[in-house]
Amino acid sequence: MADIEIKNLHKEFGVGDDKVVALEDVNLQLGGHVFVSIVGPSGCGKSTLLNILSGIETPTSGVVNITQSGHEAAPGYVFQAARLLPWRTVMDNLLFVQKDKSDETRARCQHYLEMVQLGDKGSKFPGELSGGMQQRVGIARAFSIEPDVLFMDEPFSHLDAITARSLRTELHAMWADTKKTIIFVTHDVGEAVELSDRILVFAKGGRLEDDINIDLPFPRDPSDEKVAIAKASVLRKFEELDLVVS
Amino acid sequence: MTTHTAPRKTSPRRHTTQAPLIVRFVKSPKFARFLFPWAVLVFWLIGNKLIQDSWDFDSSVLATPREVWDFMWAEITNDTVAPDNVYRTFGISLRRLGVGFAIAMFLGTLIGLGMGLSKAINAFFHDWVMALLAMPALAWALFLSLIFGFDNRGPTIAVILAGIPFVIVNIREGVRSTPRELFDMSGAFNVPRAKTVRHVLLPSLFPFMFAAARYAFSIGWKGLVIAELFGGQDGAGWTMKFWYDAHRLHGVIGYSMFFVILALFIENVVLEPISRRVFKWRPALTGPDVVEEEFQHELDVASGAGTL
Repeated sequence: MADIEIKNLHKEFGVGDDKVVALEDVNLQLGGHVFVSIVGPSGCGKSTLLNILSGIETPTSGVVNITQSGHEAAPGYVFQAARLLPWRTVMDNLLFVQKDKSDETRARCQHYLEMVQLGDKGSKFPGELSGGMQQRVGIARAFSIEPDVLFMDEPFSHLDAITARSLRTELHAMWADTKKTIIFVTHDVGEAVELSDRILVFAKGGRLEDDINIDLPFPRDPSDEKVAIAKASVLRKFEELDLVVS
Repeated sequence: MTTHTAPRKTSPRRHTTQAPLIVRFVKSPKFARFLFPWAVLVFWLIGNKLIQDSWDFDSSVLATPREVWDFMWAEITNDTVAPDNVYRTFGISLRRLGVGFAIAMFLGTLIGLGMGLSKAINAFFHDWVMALLAMPALAWALFLSLIFGFDNRGPTIAVILAGIPFVIVNIREGVRSTPRELFDMSGAFNVPRAKTVRHVLLPSLFPFMFAAARYAFSIGWKGLVIAELFGGQDGAGWTMKFWYDAHRLHGVIGYSMFFVILALFIENVVLEPISRRVFKWRPALTGPDVVEEEFQHELDVASGAGTL
């Protein structure tokens, strides 16, 4: 479990007339065993925020501190597409991001492959797996380094509804089991309500517009009346803020 | 009201009835490959006959398949009037090719990597690489024979100059099309740079390096033969010229056949197994027989034969 502190975060792309503000003066405090979703319309800076938090991009200004018991926290990342090395087997893809290849590490990788129902697919190449299976490998890879905080960038947006539903259930079970801090970007409000403790709403221009607590017990069934009401209330806030999302 | 639904499109394979064994054999790629040399042989014999019947000249200069075979057998059994036998001749040429090929791959990879990674290096080499690509091997052969005379250096450098631009261009394009998203992934997981280069950059370059090697080998081989022909005193190119000067067409054709056999050997026994091993991670491609089946299915559907 990590503590995340974001102060006056600002990010711009381009210069002069081509300058685009991706994030504008974002301030946040997150921490503990929480599942936080970031939602908003396309181009509101959701993925940029995640890339800055994970160190893929640097901010134009501002401070980001991600710590675990006072030390720098170890991050894991699940991407929109699985981003597996196609020339390496499933097990080797997990081993690629590890610090060593000891028996203990292999056993840990195998454990997470089993958690995503792919325990018998370690010797397969990614090209031999379906899109859903590849995304499962991506999730297992992120968990296998036992990160303090896990960043997920619309990981289920490329999948069909049934596969996405099944993976959401698996992900939530893994989150509950491993007590990680998860920061999850999505454009799907229903998905955010189903999975999250908190929903951060971003608007175009990279402004953090709202911070909503979803105080419902897990697991959440999308057809449950309370979940449906929560989703409707979040969508109402979107309308109030004049945001267009699915 | 009657509603019509479109016939459900299912896998073409399920609809295709199995053709008789003989038909499948005749239509198979293996049979087509087997058939080609025999078709060439028939065409050769008919061509010889037609020329002899319709053209008034000394038809003895035309080589028959039998003469070519006898020549090749004599060469194989070391019964030759040429200064060197076929083994020594190809040994000399292959040594030159091997050295030139290795240097072309090494230098070409270095320059290609530089051009792919740096705009300044790309700008520095770009025009010269294009000039090298456009330069005919014949020009190198004449130029190098004037500089180095008739020793090993001219033909070896001809291999380098003929092959290196293809290596450079392939490696440069390989670097430009490296999967950036995989580098981001490595960065997000704090994978060390050296490990990323070894496991992400190099494997992503393999298909381009393989294409570069194939080009450098085949183009370099052609450059070598021309260089030996004009500026050599031994080797395969020079020996072809020896038989040409002796007015022995069967010698020229026979030596060409040795080239063909060597090229097929290298392709099927060396390159193809390496390619299969290195690229075993690639999903199986749709073979020509499958495409043909699908095309046949489309025809069946169009004519109503494939639907119920």
